[in-house]
Amino acid sequence: MHLTGLDLLFWAAGLCAHFILLSVLLIRRRFMVFPIFTAFVVSNIGRTVALGLVELYGTKASYFYTYWSLAILDTALQLAVVYEMYSQTFRRRGAWARDLHSALIWLVIVSVAVAAGLTWLATPHVRLWMQVVVIKGTFFSSACMSELFVGMIVLAVRAGLPWRTHVARISQGLGVYSLIDVLIEAAHSYLGVGRNTQTYTMLSHFRMSAYLVCVTYWIVMLWRDEPRSRKLPKDFRGQLIQLQSMVDSDLERIRARRRS
Amino acid sequence: MNKWSVWFLIAVAAFVSALIVIALHYYRRAQKSSQRDWRRLLMRLTIVDRSSIAEVALDIIDESGQQRKDKGSAVLEPSEIWKLVGGLEGLEVLEANSAVLIDLAFYVQQWYPEALAVAEQLRLSAREIEWHVERLKSAQRTGKLESAFPMYAQPAVAAYYLMTRRVLALYEEGNLAMLGDLREAL
Repeated sequence: MHLTGLDLLFWAAGLCAHFILLSVLLIRRRFMVFPIFTAFVVSNIGRTVALGLVELYGTKASYFYTYWSLAILDTALQLAVVYEMYSQTFRRRGAWARDLHSALIWLVIVSVAVAAGLTWLATPHVRLWMQVVVIKGTFFSSACMSELFVGMIVLAVRAGLPWRTHVARISQGLGVYSLIDVLIEAAHSYLGVGRNTQTYTMLSHFRMSAYLVCVTYWIVMLWRDEPRSRKLPKDFRGQLIQLQSMVDSDLERIRARRRS
Repeated sequence: MNKWSVWFLIAVAAFVSALIVIALHYYRRAQKSSQRDWRRLLMRLTIVDRSSIAEVALDIIDESGQQRKDKGSAVLEPSEIWKLVGGLEGLEVLEANSAVLIDLAFYVQQWYPEALAVAEQLRLSAREIEWHVERLKSAQRTGKLESAFPMYAQPAVAAYYLMTRRVLALYEEGNLAMLGDLREAL
């Protein structure tokens, strides 16, 4: 594969941006709160380096297999980041919010079904069956991710659960990028990949630019501290714990009254 | 351009537009509730007759929230409960006020993240009231509202009563300055 100067520029910019993001995560100790997100950033650095080396020293076939093996790992890690964001929002007391169990399950089912439906409608104009798999696979994953992030906003707001600032910023970045990626993959599917790959490459560059903006946003937002919260007085904490157990028994009594 | 390509483009356009509209709507709602000051939150509360609420609730529970088992408990007739609560409309007002109470607890949480446990319980109580109101609406659709009303309305009112007390306790224990105004509104 022949890489142009612009391709190399995107490659180097992506690597630099991920190194800076990783430094922010380590220096500001965010990796302790977001271990999966940190793993996702590390994997992106590894992926960029590995693909660069294979491009320089490997064959066309080895580049292809490396690219798609790492792309599967990347998608799996993105889904794991989604899980981490959901967990930070809906499992803050060590257990998933019990009134949201069914809503979360339905959200996953509907997201997968809608993404699968849209993917089924896509008919990419390509020469090789492998290109169909690539375009449809990427489109499905982007559609799922964007639905899951929007669903997360909806559930959190409806349930009255606050977002922690950094969770909100990571989710916004990945959510907006996924939405842009849906459009780009839809364009890939519609315009297809002929002998002339100029349009395909241009769209890919646009996607990379969007991702670089997203990484820059994370760098700035994760460097900043979350708004400082006040320290809860010790006696207030004790009263709150007492109050919570009272509330539990109150509800139990009301339910018993309803049943009688 | 074949038929499938056209349908695909229409579907993707609808999909992305819907996601953007939904995300913006809920994002703005979240921004509003985090920036809203407590006075505006209180303005969202619909004034209810506190003495009527207390009368209906204290018919089945005591001041501490314990279920009453004495002879004088559960003596209110369905027609009296209906009148005191203000019918289904009255319950819907309590349902709306429950959502405001959660926002009030959310407001405290912004400063004291440890108050999460209480807010969680308040939310669950609000869901319970919502459930009762939903059952009553179903009963209304099937023409059985009158018989269903005391069964569902009184526990909902009791839950609301306890919630108001819980929020007041939360503000009181947090030594928050707005307690006087909150007492007034509730």
